[in-house]
Amino acid sequence: MAVPGTIVFPVSSRRNPGSQSSLREANRARILDAITHYGALTQVELAAVTGLSPATVSNIVKEQAATGVLTTTPTSRSGRRAVRVTLAREMGLVVGLHVSNRQLRLALADAGHQVLAERMLPLARDHRADSELDRVMLLIQDMAESVGAGPGEVLAVGVGLAAPVDPRTGIIATAGLLRGWDGVPVAEELQARLHRPVFVDNEANLGALAEYRMGAAQGVRQAAYLRVSHGVGAGLIVDGRVYRGGSGKAGEIGHLTLDEQGLVCRCGNRGCLETLVGASALAAQFPGSHGDVKLRDIVLRADAGDARARRVIADAGRHLGVALAGLSNLIDPHRIVVGGELAEAGEMLLSPLRHALERSTLATVSGGPEVVKGELGERAEVLGAVLFAIDRAQISAGRPEDAVRTVAGAPAPDILPGIGGIFPVRTPEISPERGGLAS
Amino acid sequence: MAVTSTPEAPVGDLVLSLRGIDKNFGAVQALTDIDLDIYSGEVVALVGDNGAGKSTLIKILAGVHPQDGGTISHDGKTVSINNPADSNNLGIATVYQDLALCDNLDVVANLFLGHELGRATINEVEMEKRSWGLLRQLSARIPSVRIPVASLSGGQRQTVAIARSLIGEPRIVILDEPTAALGVAQTAEVLNLIERLRERGLAVVLISHNMADVQAVADRIVVLRLGRNNGEFKVADVSYEDIIAAITGASDNAVTRRAQARVDSADATAAAATATDTELPKEERP
Repeated sequence: MAVPGTIVFPVSSRRNPGSQSSLREANRARILDAITHYGALTQVELAAVTGLSPATVSNIVKEQAATGVLTTTPTSRSGRRAVRVTLAREMGLVVGLHVSNRQLRLALADAGHQVLAERMLPLARDHRADSELDRVMLLIQDMAESVGAGPGEVLAVGVGLAAPVDPRTGIIATAGLLRGWDGVPVAEELQARLHRPVFVDNEANLGALAEYRMGAAQGVRQAAYLRVSHGVGAGLIVDGRVYRGGSGKAGEIGHLTLDEQGLVCRCGNRGCLETLVGASALAAQFPGSHGDVKLRDIVLRADAGDARARRVIADAGRHLGVALAGLSNLIDPHRIVVGGELAEAGEMLLSPLRHALERSTLATVSGGPEVVKGELGERAEVLGAVLFAIDRAQISAGRPEDAVRTVAGAPAPDILPGIGGIFPVRTPEISPERGGLAS
Repeated sequence: MAVTSTPEAPVGDLVLSLRGIDKNFGAVQALTDIDLDIYSGEVVALVGDNGAGKSTLIKILAGVHPQDGGTISHDGKTVSINNPADSNNLGIATVYQDLALCDNLDVVANLFLGHELGRATINEVEMEKRSWGLLRQLSARIPSVRIPVASLSGGQRQTVAIARSLIGEPRIVILDEPTAALGVAQTAEVLNLIERLRERGLAVVLISHNMADVQAVADRIVVLRLGRNNGEFKVADVSYEDIIAAITGASDNAVTRRAQARVDSADATAAAATATDTELPKEERP
């Protein structure tokens, strides 16, 4: 099904492998791939990423800009004039939506990953899917208007929910974690309102995807993303792909049992990690304080030097480290990226976390996983939702084999069950070593 | 200036405390025995049906009407708010529903209306700089501070009105129905702004009819009904239905029962006290 606003390339001939024309064809595809993958790039960066010579890049960009696939804008890079290359905005817009327990974030981006507009909305506890999706609709329209685009230009929507999502159905797999959204076919509900394909995934998976593709885990093919916010979740990057598990609950580290005799968790089990480091557990460490103690309040207090807040954050770091040691023994990531609201505490959280992780994980000769703070901050999930939508709807500058095809409705079950297709067609990495030759 | 230089105010201090506030307009008893506590770094929502007394209560705080009975204490000292200047001096800033902006003036002029900087001549440059600083801190999306307010959207006007209230370095900001006339996108802007004020350690009193907004940003909800307190809830442990029940008076919940029990026991002790009062003189009689 073709989507309005995208350009489908004529199928070109590659009958003569190694010929001059097929070489140029391959180089063009390489450049377009790089732009879809990394978003907006300058010509110099393009040359570095693709391994093509600056002259080749310049020629191809000029040619593609003339045919309307790319747009060039003058910019400056390290003080020098440069040409910034993006996919032409007519290639369509993509919306990323992140629904967490107390907040909703929206980003409107073009197919070049360039975020054009963002919105944020605080939410009530136990917000309900129907009314929030109505508001999302209005916010999407507002964002599209703000960039001078009609709502018709939106090609796809990626949604991240604060609960495990079954990759086969797109419905929340575990009830009780995002109560107002349980059993709601979010993709279909939003699709009925927008008439565009909608793809749903777990928030931590999307955070992992964003940090892997454009953040702190770039190029690390074995990585984990830990989101410490209202709840705790992890997204796993295994061999450069997001690993979702059989029913979507892979990486639900927040519900790892740490204390058999602990408190009952909102998931129904006892002594989960979340009963120790979830937002409400941390807030309970501040008895007698007035009002709701939010995670941001704790971080702000700790920044201001409040000893109790610092200790609470350090303890949370220790618990997280123990849980991560288990995760590290199981999937053995090279790098663990910590994101979510509590990660704003920085080293106050990370150094006790590293310490506990090193103490409990299996020692390897090469040393344990590296623990770093996320680079994308609170935007990781919503950016991940954008990337997810771009991948799933296969909105790309289009090589013949991925001539635009959209998968309507829930994520297609046929794409590598278990390992959801982040790049169902392409290989995710463009290695500069391959030089300018077609692979 | 206002927000830049203010250090992070200590969170959770009792700033203002109202006890037993009464107010009547002639024969109409608008408020009866109202209690309200306002803490720094906290958003307290004042909700209630039309005519419940919300506006009257904030007008007492703003110095529009003095109260007829009860006490107001500020930082533990009893104070009286007789006029808007008193209210201002206590660090209370009120943003009314109509915003009271001058449509023909630009954003800077509106922000500093009545408090213009500069002695002999108005220091426009400094005012513009401070306006940008303030709006940036509030992460406000205002395209230019040199355009007349008339050309701004509803949410942007609300932002300007709230920013103006911050010029006087208040400790308490009272927002009367800030989202009532706004669309979803602008409501989002104002709610984010309220969170930002809270993070600055300001006390925010939010009057709203929209329960979704109230539950999204408030820490505590105080319900008024027919001029009386009808329940106080922490947002963390109350459902939408409970709040509506308290607003409409259909509530029979723990809070009202506890309040009733308190009234009953107070009555009982009062009765006992009067009983001893009447007996004591008997014994003292020669």
